[in-house]
Amino acid sequence: MHIAVCLKHVPDPSTVEVDPLTGLLAEDRVLYMLNPADESALELALRLRPANGTVTALSVGPIEADALLREALAAGVERAARVWDAELGPLKPALTSILLAATLRVIGLPDLVLCGGHSADRGSGTVPALLAEQLDWPAVTDVTRFEITEGRALAQRRLARGARAESEVQLPAVLGLDTERIRLRQASLPKLMQAQHAPIPLYSLEALDLSPQDLHFPAMTLHEVMPPRPRARIMFAPDATASAQERVAQILSAGIAGKSGQKVEGGTPEQQADAIIDFLRQHGFLEQRIAS
Amino acid sequence: MVMTTHEEKMRTVRFRVAATPHIVVNSDICRASCSIHACVYVCPANLFVPLDDGGILFNYEQCFECGTCYIACNQEGAIRWSYPDGGYGVTFRES
Amino acid sequence: MSVATASEVFDVIVVGAGPAGSTAALLCARAGLKVLLLERGEYPGAKNVSGAAFYGSAILNELIPNWWEQAPVERYICRRDIAFMSSTTSVALDFHCAAEGYTTPPYNGFIVLRPRFDRWLAAQAEAAGAFLLTSAVVDDVLRENGRVVGVRVRREQGEIRGKVVIACDGVNSFLAKKVGLQREFHAHELSLGVKEVLGLDPAIIEDRFRLSGDEGIAYEYLGAITEDVHGGAFLYTNRDSLSLGVIGQVSSLVERRKRPYELLERFKAHPAVAPLVRGAKLREYSAHLIPESGWTMKPTLYTDGMLVAGDAAGFCLAAGLYLEGMNYAMQSGLAAAETAIDACRRERYSARALSGYRKHLKQRNVSTDFRAYRHAPAFVNSARLQNLYPEVVASGMEQLFRVDGSAKRKILPLARQLMRQYQLKPGELLRDGYQVVRAYLW
Ligand SMILES: Cc1cc2nc3c(=O)[nH]c(=O)nc-3n(C[C@H](O)[C@H](O)[C@H](O)COP(=O)(O)OP(=O)(O)OC[C@H]3O[C@@H](n4cnc5c(N)ncnc54)[C@H](O)[C@@H]3O)c2cc1C
Ligand code: SF4
Ligand code: SF4
Repeated sequence: MHIAVCLKHVPDPSTVEVDPLTGLLAEDRVLYMLNPADESALELALRLRPANGTVTALSVGPIEADALLREALAAGVERAARVWDAELGPLKPALTSILLAATLRVIGLPDLVLCGGHSADRGSGTVPALLAEQLDWPAVTDVTRFEITEGRALAQRRLARGARAESEVQLPAVLGLDTERIRLRQASLPKLMQAQHAPIPLYSLEALDLSPQDLHFPAMTLHEVMPPRPRARIMFAPDATASAQERVAQILSAGIAGKSGQKVEGGTPEQQADAIIDFLRQHGFLEQRIAS
Repeated sequence: MVMTTHEEKMRTVRFRVAATPHIVVNSDICRASCSIHACVYVCPANLFVPLDDGGILFNYEQCFECGTCYIACNQEGAIRWSYPDGGYGVTFRES
Repeated sequence: MSVATASEVFDVIVVGAGPAGSTAALLCARAGLKVLLLERGEYPGAKNVSGAAFYGSAILNELIPNWWEQAPVERYICRRDIAFMSSTTSVALDFHCAAEGYTTPPYNGFIVLRPRFDRWLAAQAEAAGAFLLTSAVVDDVLRENGRVVGVRVRREQGEIRGKVVIACDGVNSFLAKKVGLQREFHAHELSLGVKEVLGLDPAIIEDRFRLSGDEGIAYEYLGAITEDVHGGAFLYTNRDSLSLGVIGQVSSLVERRKRPYELLERFKAHPAVAPLVRGAKLREYSAHLIPESGWTMKPTLYTDGMLVAGDAAGFCLAAGLYLEGMNYAMQSGLAAAETAIDACRRERYSARALSGYRKHLKQRNVSTDFRAYRHAPAFVNSARLQNLYPEVVASGMEQLFRVDGSAKRKILPLARQLMRQYQLKPGELLRDGYQVVRAYLW
């Protein structure tokens, strides 16, 4: 079985500082690391690899990404490849998935692709699904556990509110993992030394036979990134024609109209109780009694 | 922000935490035979917490790997000290 | 950059990519030797802390001409200011020098930031052909028939062989101890330095410290700045930040039950320091040990197949007026490299073959400097110099300059009164005077 793992280098969250005035990231203070979810995916791939199988590590990114591909080589993957081109601007998940799919086609399609579901930096978690779409393969996302048997993947998925689901897909397939954190194994000294200066092939747009048009998607454009703001509250405005005293009274009552309603007066206590129950029923607070 | 609390200081330091501790404190020795508790004062990361019973609560995650604790501790065997695995532990960016 | 595998035998294995290790590796690689440089950090400098006023510019210039044009340096040092402090007053010696070689190449000193500087220096060793391997902790040496023949890295199949091992693994040097070249240190022989880098606008720095362009200033503080803890403090100007820190003898921190970071806070709040750091913002806090006792904690410097250099050998001059370790680390690293190169040429690696290390250390002025200043650390750490004299000087100046309508005092009567007040005996003064002379002048 041949497995491909997609790795991303992300800023270590503990080194990310945003200048409160400019809103920009303090670039010179950031240290990068292998995205923790991808680290788990890589270690799982290595554990899953059968005797005659291979693991290939892929990363879309500038030269700095070579460091984590070397980490993968040292840990024992057979092959590593980096995808980058000076033409490329900021990476969007859709773009990343096109590049990954094209690279896999060029270097040879695997039986299984493992991706960390969410990246620590942006974490839209859409790359696995988009990649599967590009390859026209089945995908399972939010996978907490999986097993491969006889050409099929049986995966347990995390759903909202703690629910779980099981899915089974035919390989080749893409799995987006949402497992617990699994640490990458310590590389042996010989492997670490070997990986240190191992050449890492680079795939440019030309090598992938892609043109800038292929990377253009009118379907989705990012217009602006905005910091979260609290939702606007509608302020109560008093009736401008009322007297000052009345307006102050209106403001103090916070715009809530005086409560109107009926008083339950007269009758026996039983009758009064029935009147209250009727009122609650009318307003939907009590279910209609089923006629017995 | 010139004056800072110890917590604020520690927040500026980057640690790549290893899976296993590189320093282990044998609290039984602290409890049985240490009256000075030097580690509590000297550790620049303030990682040694004295307990009511004379023992020590120690967490290795935010350690500078400076070695001050084992130099200051005068009880044989109370601190087992080594460096974390390669690439793990503290990573200074500017100091 | 060389390609190498774990199964081959290296000529030289250097442990630790600090200033000692990287310079040693650089020189060995240039001599055509197969060099492995091992560093436990994620990158060279990741574990290292200094002031850092680097006074080894001339040494480095011999290896890499005009090194400062390509290296990450902050500012060159054109002024030094040594202040004697009481809790309220400070008396400073301000040394401003525009002499040849101070403000012109090769410059007397530069302020640097270690994570950046060390990474650059190790890259120079790499460029010269050394094999740099980071994330590699060395746990022990390999021995055969009593001689060192390599090291063991804490990883699977971690044994690797080398003809000469140079231990440049810093103040805690486990290697020197494992081989029996160094003993365990005592708490009075080591100081703990805690440091902060505080971000500050370059324009404010230049204005506040009266600097222009790339000029920088180094402040050193003695006396009450560390309260009753033996030690000192420093403040250096970087390009867009300040490096400041407090240094305290470990034994006296324990005795006085002082927490180092609290001393650091009080240092920043001292009336003489507060205006210098006003408006700055904390960027990084750090801590590291310093070998303080110089020559007296010097290990045996070599054994069969192994040499020790830098802080690992105690080559750090931390004695009041001086806090110099990086330059001595480099000088001793070079001396160790020269010894290793000789050994590899003659293909002899026994202790006797490596005994030329002494000669090389002497030629590089390392042993001569440390022998010359061997009395300084003990004197500097004596209670009188640490606490009493700075207080006397500061309080004397305070009285000398006070104008409150009472009669002006001449210096001599004032001195007599101060001696009474602080119970100083002429004999003691004489003895300490002699100590100063012995420690610094001869
Ligand atoms: C707060 C402070 C301020 C200082 N100020 C100054 C100053 O202004 N000017 C000055 O000249 N000096 C100063 N010094 C002293 C100076 O920092 C040291 O003398 C100098 O760094 C010594 O260099 P070195 O190469 O011997 O050791 P280090 O710089 O300590 O380098 C040792 C290297 O070995 C690595 N290492 C250690 N053990 C292992 C292992 N087992 N396996 C693999 N790698 C290992 C470490 O990670 C490190 O990179 C200061 C020190 C401190 C603490
Ligand atoms: S670690 Fe050492 S100094 Fe600290 S309490 Fe224990 S015995 Fe005492
Ligand atoms: S090595 Fe230093 S930082 Fe770590 S626990 Fe000991 S004293 Fe504290």
